[in-house]
This record gives sequence, C-alpha cells and structure tokens, in this order.
Amino acid sequence: MKKHISIIRTTVLIGFISFFSACSDFLEQEPDAIIDEEQVFEDEGMIKSVLANFYGRVTWAQNISDSYSYTILDEAGKSDSGPDNIQDYSNELWRVYDYTLIRNMNQFLEGLRTTTVIGEEARLAYEGELRFLRAWLYFNMVRGMGGMPIVGDEVFEFNGTTTDITALQYPRSTEAELYDYIIAECEAVTEYLPEEPSVNAARATKWAAQMLKARAAVYAGSIANYNNKMPNPISTPGGEVGIPADRAEGYYQQALEAAEEVINSGVYRLNMTNPDDLGRSFYEATSVKNSNNEVIWARDYKYPGQTVGFTRENIPASHAEDIDRAYAGPILNLVEDFEYTDNRDGSIRTRDAQGNYIFYDSPEDAFANKDARLWGSVIYPGAVFKGSPVVLQAGQKYLENGTWRTRTGQPGETDDDGRLLTSVNGPVTSNQQFINKTGFFFRKFMDETRGASTRGRNSDMWFPRFRYAEALMIACEASFELGQTADALNYINQIRERAGIQELQTITFEDIVREYRVEFAFEDHRYWDLKRWRLAHEVWNGVQNSPTAQQYALFPYLVVAPGTPNDGQWVFDKQPFTNSPHPRNFQMRNYYNFIDQAWINNNPKLVRNPYQ
Amino acid sequence: MKRFILATLGLSLLVAGGCGLDNYAEPKSKLLGQITYNGEPLGLRGTGEAVQLQLYQDGYELRAPIPVYVAQDGSFEATLFDGQYKLVTRDNNGPWVNDRDTTVVNVSGSTEVALEVTPYFTLSDVSLSLDGESLNATFTVNEVVENATIEYAMVLLSNTSFVDDITYSAREDLRDVTVGSAMEISVDLSENEGFKAGKPLFARVGLRTVGADQAIYSQVVRLR
Repeated sequence: MKKHISIIRTTVLIGFISFFSACSDFLEQEPDAIIDEEQVFEDEGMIKSVLANFYGRVTWAQNISDSYSYTILDEAGKSDSGPDNIQDYSNELWRVYDYTLIRNMNQFLEGLRTTTVIGEEARLAYEGELRFLRAWLYFNMVRGMGGMPIVGDEVFEFNGTTTDITALQYPRSTEAELYDYIIAECEAVTEYLPEEPSVNAARATKWAAQMLKARAAVYAGSIANYNNKMPNPISTPGGEVGIPADRAEGYYQQALEAAEEVINSGVYRLNMTNPDDLGRSFYEATSVKNSNNEVIWARDYKYPGQTVGFTRENIPASHAEDIDRAYAGPILNLVEDFEYTDNRDGSIRTRDAQGNYIFYDSPEDAFANKDARLWGSVIYPGAVFKGSPVVLQAGQKYLENGTWRTRTGQPGETDDDGRLLTSVNGPVTSNQQFINKTGFFFRKFMDETRGASTRGRNSDMWFPRFRYAEALMIACEASFELGQTADALNYINQIRERAGIQELQTITFEDIVREYRVEFAFEDHRYWDLKRWRLAHEVWNGVQNSPTAQQYALFPYLVVAPGTPNDGQWVFDKQPFTNSPHPRNFQMRNYYNFIDQAWINNNPKLVRNPYQ
Repeated sequence: MKRFILATLGLSLLVAGGCGLDNYAEPKSKLLGQITYNGEPLGLRGTGEAVQLQLYQDGYELRAPIPVYVAQDGSFEATLFDGQYKLVTRDNNGPWVNDRDTTVVNVSGSTEVALEVTPYFTLSDVSLSLDGESLNATFTVNEVVENATIEYAMVLLSNTSFVDDITYSAREDLRDVTVGSAMEISVDLSENEGFKAGKPLFARVGLRTVGADQAIYSQVVRLR
C-alpha cells in the first residue's frame, strides 16, 4: 500500500510541475506546414501556387482522368471484365455543389485585393483568372442542377451561436440569373486577362473567358428555346429550373457575339499540321500540345507529378507497355455517325442488299473515305497506331454447307495452318479483363509518347475544355437559331472542310447535332448537348435494340475459305455490345440533378428540382 | 476463473442493459394503399423505383419526404409509426395529371388508403392471347383528360411477372392510336428466345401520353 501511495504522489507531483511549467514557451513553435493569409499575400509565388491549387480542383464530369465516364453515354463501352448493368442514370450524375471551393476562392480574392507585393495590372490579371475559374465552377453547377445560390464575393464567417444563421442561407437563383451571372463575370474579366495564349493553354486568357461566355449563352439559349417546345416543359414555379422562351434570342445573340470575337481575333485557328493527312491533323489538333493553335483552355498534365492514366488504361494490348490495357473502347454507334466523304450516311457497309457479306481485302478498307476525324478520334480495325497497325480480329469465318460459320480462339491463338484465330486485342464477348469488346480503340487523347502507358510514368496528355472549333460550332448554332442560315453554313463548312467531307448547301438542326457529336467526341460535350436540346430522353429512350440507346459493337472476321476468291478477305458482324446489355434510359428526372436532402436540411430555402 | 466469470457476467449485463433505454421500438403500423381512378386500380411500371409517392410528417425540425414505391398493380405499402402523415404524388411522376394536393392519412395500426389520381387515358377491354407464334392484343383507349395526346401504345411480353417498358422480352409499338375504338396489335414471336424455350409468358398493354414521364398499363396477364 505504501508503494502505491508513493506512485500516486510522484504522479501528482509530475502533473503539477508540467502544468505550471507550461507557462514557458518552449512548446510554442511557428507551424512550418500551415501558412496564414498574410504570408500568402506577401509573396507572388505563393499567390500563384494558391491559384494553381484552384486549377487542380475544377475538373468534373466526363474527362480523361476517369475512363469509366466515357462508357455510360453512347460514345464508348466498358470492355473491362464482365458486363456493366447500367441502364438508368443516377440523380447525382456529375453533380457539382462545391461551395467550399467558392469560399476558398472568395478568401483568395479578399486577400488578393489587399496585397501590395504586385502591381495593379498583375493583381487584376490574377483576379481575372480567379473570377473566370469561379464562373466555370458556377457553370458546372448550373448545367447539372439549374439555378443555385449566387454568393458573390462574400466570405461567410460563422461564430457559433452569435451568428444569425438564416442570413447565411441564400435561396436558389433562377436558372437564367445564374447563366446571366456567369456571362457577366466573363465579360467583366475579359479586359483583365491576357490576350496571349498561355503555355499548353493551361491558364485562363481573354479568349477562354469569351468561350465560357459563348458556351454559357448558347446553353441558356437552347434551354429557353427547346425546353419550352416540350409538351410538358421542365420548370419550377420560382424559375430555379427553366428559362422563359422570350429570352432565347438574346442568349443566342450573346453567344454569337462572343464566339465571333474569338473567331475574328486571329489568335486561334483550326489546326492543320499536315494538309495531306487530315486524320493525323485532326488528332494533332486535339491531342498534341506542340505548336497547337486550336486549343484555348485545357486541363494540362505534366510529367513528373501531374499525370493521367487514360492512355495506360485504354491502350490496345498489342501496343501496351504495362499490364493495363483495353479498359474501354468506342462503340459502333459513334463510328457510324461519322459520314463518308461521298455519302452522308456513315453506316459501315457490312452486307449487301441481299443480306450477303461484303468482302474487304483488308479490314481498314471498310473505313476508307470516312470523315477524316474518324481516324483522328478512333482506332478502327487495321488502323495504324504508333507506327504499326492495330489488329482487331474476333475470329475466322468459314463455309459449311453454304453458310458462313464462326470459329474463335483464345486471344492470340492461331489455327493449325498458322493463321490467326482471335487477335490479342480482341474483340471478344467473354468476361476476360484486358481485352477489347467493342471492335474499336480510342485514338483521341491517347498519348504516343514512349512510356506513356506505363504505371511508372503515365501520360501528360491534356484535356481540352475549349478549342477554336467550338467557337465555330457555337457561332453556327447561334446563327442558325437566329435565322442567319448563310452564316451558319459558312461556319459549319469550315469545320467540315477540315474533316475532308462535303460542304453543306442547306443546314438543319440535325446537321448541327451530328457535327457536335463527331467533332467533340470524348470531350465532355455529348451529355450536356443532348440535355440542353432536350433530346436526351429521345436518344437514350431505354428501348431494347434501339439504334441510339443500345450500344453496338463491330466484330471483324478473317475469311478462311481455301480455293475461293474470298480466302484471306475480311467480313464484319454488327451486334449489340455484350458488355453493356441494357439500352440507355434517360428519364425526365435526369434533366436536372436532384437537390440533396442534406443541403436542404442545412438551408431550408433551397427548393427541390422537378420530379424530385 | 471466478473473476473472469464475474467480468463476463458484468459485461453481458452492461450490453443487455443498454437496450431499451435509448432505442425506439421499430415501427409496426402498416399503411396499405392503392392508386385508383374511379375506384379502379391503375397498372403502372413497378421496376426501377419508377413511380413513387412521398409521405411527409409535420412537427419535426427537418422535413424530408419518405419515398413510397408503387408496385405494378398500383398498390403500395409502408411500415410506419402511428401518427398523421401527408401523402402526395411525386412531382411530375406518373401517367396522370400532376397534382401536388396532399391526402392526409392517420396511421393507426393497419390503415388503408386509396389515392385517387386523374390519368390522361385509361385502357379497357384488354385481351391478350397467344395464337400460334404470335401474341395478339386488343384494347380500347379511353380519354380522361381533354387535349391530351397519345404518344404510342405498346404490347409487352416478359418471362417473369414483371412487365413494363424497360423490362420485357418482346415489344411492339403502335403509333396510330385512336381513342374509343378497339385497337389491335400482334407481336411475332417466332424469333423470340423465351417463347421458343417454353418459358413462362406474361403480357400487358401500355400507353404513353405526350408529356408524361411514365406509361399507364393494363394489369399483367399470364399467358403460359
């Protein structure tokens, strides 16, 4: 017992000593990992690095850091392992609600406006960039959810019970108000921002702001236009969703002005690196940074440090440098939307009028005379990638009693005569990993740099958000909607000329829809375009074997018929894509993301979206 | 050893004693309902949580609706605490005129409720039959709401008792639908795998109205 008491005594003593000695400041240290506001705005390098942080936080929706995001629309299918049973779209798909980032941005703005280390002009340039990024963030919110609270430059402080919380709870703006805010912000910062293109289009310029203005205006215009043409327009009584029809013209006008400003600036143009090889030129226009005159703003990646795995994940097996490969591949639906130079119907001709196979000497012949952008966007069977052809062969076709039968093998297996059965690249219909199942690979955003598909290095491919071609398309669409058909034709034909396809003499809305689809495949346009045109529920109608909602694959076969002229030729089978058996079903509720119940609990002034 | 037993005993007492103090008893009352028009239950899509009702209860700080999923025969069911609830259809959801008027429901034990809606159209005199290798359907479309426009009618076949515009094994659409007269659709099943394999067959007729997010259906009929 005595021993116990002494232990207690010692403990109490030590406790007392340490308690009182805390008055000395030997534990007080300046934190070296936390930098306070003052320190940031004392140094331009610091200001820049905070801004860089914001640039890293503004990528959402479909983009090359998320290969899966390509497979849920009608552009590509997931080849990885077994089937993806997606059918409906989530109520939260690509929903952006990042008021944390807005607050951080406004904190930065507040500090920036007090800084004395940089001159007024430089300060305004930073402010311009910041406000551009904030407008981009609002744009990503509005296209998903409609009008959301606009908090301006305010930095909210909450001091426990002394703060009146209801003053911090902003109601939702109307959808039109938020688009107007984005447009006004872009207009306000254009004079602050530099006119010179930035390195790799990574930073905001005057032209990026003009592009955002143009895109926001054309989105708002098409919602005002097409939403009100629906039998049952989607809207809320307060206008948080839905834009009055009479505002369409004004928005189209704004879009046209902004797009034309970019077009007439002469800073950017349609990239044409090699007029003799239009496909290659188109690939380089979207996916090569060097001497690129087309991309206006991009999410840039840089090795080492900032790299992206798109190339590694999706590269053909025959060209892979690491174990990853063939995660996803474009689908036939997209490929067939690319026209032939002599025929606007882009369907791949696999059978003649009697239903017999059409035989091709080599698989790439089926894609001869296609829109050059197909070569630049998609690797089709037999197309060359990094100097060698990508062999896609599902199996062999042989004759038995007058009918063609199919023989397949394991990937890379050959028959007894040494002829290839099934390519290591596929396509196959099995559940195997690392093998293609659609018949096509991506080319756009595939990095040709050595080592770009290894896990150790990864790729520093960029992801363009705005490019000159979009200025042309927005100008085309806005002119068309404003009834200026001649201008619309002029703009769309510039794009078609670069693609090597016939000029249009007349233009319809369907032409514009299709041109956007093929020009901007894999660039995060398709989903938002179909939404703003209110076409998504018709295109992705959930009907089995619907040509637009069901995903399709194209399987190439080598003909093995010794002694006949067809031996060694190629035939194709079109078939539903087995790895995504369900048709896409976009429902009315998907036009606007749902407002989360947790947000409403925190801010009861938020009203719910339609169908919610 | 004794100490160990005592410790275990104490611990289990503590665990057992924890119950009852801070927990509610689970809800036991049932709300059973049916979506009707003129007292007739409506056929709906029952998969994919497509048709939903919402229950609200006043008197609490936070006001989140309880979703109630409607089955394909128009019935629904919720397990609740006793109390007063407000039942409402989900905004713009369902083949009926959007109506956000609430129905007050007092739940006490097992409670039944009929929720009257106004569908744009109804289907009557539906007959579905197999004839050799084809499925024949006849039905009459009745107008309920003036100026509503029919988008299309469809005959749907499935191998399970779930049949709707998303869950089916065979489907035939009819675009020209006239109100009031008997319509006929026939579906060729000679290529249908489920049919050839002798699987069970269920069928129903559906009708889509322009502007409605869901179709209205006849009740499911088992054909085989």
